[in-house]
Amino acid sequence: MAERSGRRIAERLSYGWLGLVVALAVVGPWLPFDAWNTVYDDALAVGPLSGRHILGTDSNGYDLLLGVVNGARLSILVAVVAVGLGGFIGSALGIIAAYARGRTDTVITTFFNVILSVPNLVLALALVAVFATNIDVSDAVPTWRRVLVLILSLTVVIIPILGRIARAAAMSWTGREFVLAAQTMGMRARNIIWAHIVPNVMPALIAVGFLAVGVVIIAEASLSILGVGVPDGASWGAMISRGRNEIDYAPHVVLVPLFFLATTVICTNHVGDILRARLDKRQARI
Amino acid sequence: MSTRARRILGRVGNSFLVLVFATFAVSMLMRLLPVDLAAVLLPTAGEAERDALRAEIGLDKNPFAYYVSWLWDFVRGDFGNIYFSGGVESVGSRLASAVPRSLLLMLYAQIIALAVSIPLGMWSGYRAGRRADRVISTTLFSFSAIPSFAVGLALIVVIGVRFQWLPTLGYEPVSAGLWAHLSYMIMPALSLSLGLIATYTRLLRADVVATLREDYVTMAASKGLSNTRILWRHVFRPSSLTLFTSAALNMGALIGGAIVVEAVFATYGLGFEVYTALQGRQFIALQSYVAVIAIFYVLFNLIIDEAAGFVDPRTRNRRANG
Repeated sequence: MAERSGRRIAERLSYGWLGLVVALAVVGPWLPFDAWNTVYDDALAVGPLSGRHILGTDSNGYDLLLGVVNGARLSILVAVVAVGLGGFIGSALGIIAAYARGRTDTVITTFFNVILSVPNLVLALALVAVFATNIDVSDAVPTWRRVLVLILSLTVVIIPILGRIARAAAMSWTGREFVLAAQTMGMRARNIIWAHIVPNVMPALIAVGFLAVGVVIIAEASLSILGVGVPDGASWGAMISRGRNEIDYAPHVVLVPLFFLATTVICTNHVGDILRARLDKRQARI
Repeated sequence: MSTRARRILGRVGNSFLVLVFATFAVSMLMRLLPVDLAAVLLPTAGEAERDALRAEIGLDKNPFAYYVSWLWDFVRGDFGNIYFSGGVESVGSRLASAVPRSLLLMLYAQIIALAVSIPLGMWSGYRAGRRADRVISTTLFSFSAIPSFAVGLALIVVIGVRFQWLPTLGYEPVSAGLWAHLSYMIMPALSLSLGLIATYTRLLRADVVATLREDYVTMAASKGLSNTRILWRHVFRPSSLTLFTSAALNMGALIGGAIVVEAVFATYGLGFEVYTALQGRQFIALQSYVAVIAIFYVLFNLIIDEAAGFVDPRTRNRRANG
């Protein structure tokens, strides 16, 4: 009994935290706060819980609470768009491969394997490094272009991950009797996929999608630490990357965004895991 | 030819094909650079020198010829150069010193992970469903989600800065003394191992739970053997195969995590080289690094997969069914 209620609490906490982070990301700009890059020169690198600055400030005088609220927007945007877009393309390819089989399947699977042959972080890194480069080192690449390149690179990373899941899930449905029945009745392939395959593959994809969001948030932060992410401390990763320079005298500057990032990823994994477990249970019954 | 040999040959061929496609894609990236590569690598040089460089690395050729010339050099062990204002350094010599360091780091991470997860997995499998098992499982599940660089930075804050027990940046070879070497490796290895511990414990726990249901375990218990003896002599070995296979397969996956961790701790391994190549915009070096990583990754996975199937044919069937 205690175990069940404990699990339920953990689940609610996860949804609650994710809801909070997404809400902050969405309504952040309209909250009655100062801009995230307001400099408080009366409070440089002060620790958490000091007066007006609940989470403290860094050595530039930036408030860390404002920073993480603002960073949530970019981190979440990058993760959601990359997973959404990559998931859409990947699952479309995966489902087509599973339905068509034969040569189409071989080509698509090889395509997935080629992308997967490079560890996902290395791949994202190479793509970002190449497409977010300027001729002159001193010329900063505009932020919007960096963000765009970042999102597209991470999309490429997500495509085979979700694509493989979609293919595997679709494989187990394309051979079912109701699909065969639809085929013999002369239903068109596109309609069969939409009506019979997609609805069945969706739950697995959503569960893995949550895990993928965690992967992308971590990848975005990793790229920032490697110096090819979003500049100017405008995402959690960028805050961590900048906080590293102050780790000797103001460790909270790096720990605050780390805490937000780690908690969010723990929650997305937890939710993904719960959904997957429920799905397994449901499928075991069918 | 036996079906087995044919299957292995097929897989080798397939991996080879995947690698050719992947390295070709990476070499296409070099051609898609929105900048003039020669100008980036030789910012102060004149046009004549740049032309010489273009001819040397094949930038004046079409993309396919460029790939073929790159591949030919690569196969012969010429991985290109890193360009400074003063001259060049071969990427090969960097790789020769960096790759062993990265492998050492991953090896240490694996040793720590196995040393912790084997007792934990055995214990939580033995006590499945009890409080100890629940505590271990939930705690580790949360840990598994934390990225290794986050663990690394937290370790730096606590162990490196607060207590100053270990150095936070740099690397010393074994020849500088074992402790000096290890003192630089402990924190990066720990940060990499935390996520592994969670995965390994979970795997071992599941297998231990399954093995404990076998008849020969009941048999051993009815003979009056002690629980410890049964666990370690009769349960551990058959339960550990998935664990060791997964540990070996993780070597490839570790490379990605190792890059960030090496950058955070300035361990001069392959990941750190990638980091410096990025910072210095050394695209030719980057191309070779990505290719080397991809080759390691694909071949390692292939070899381990086949080896596991060879040691325990059941894994083949299991994989085929699942």
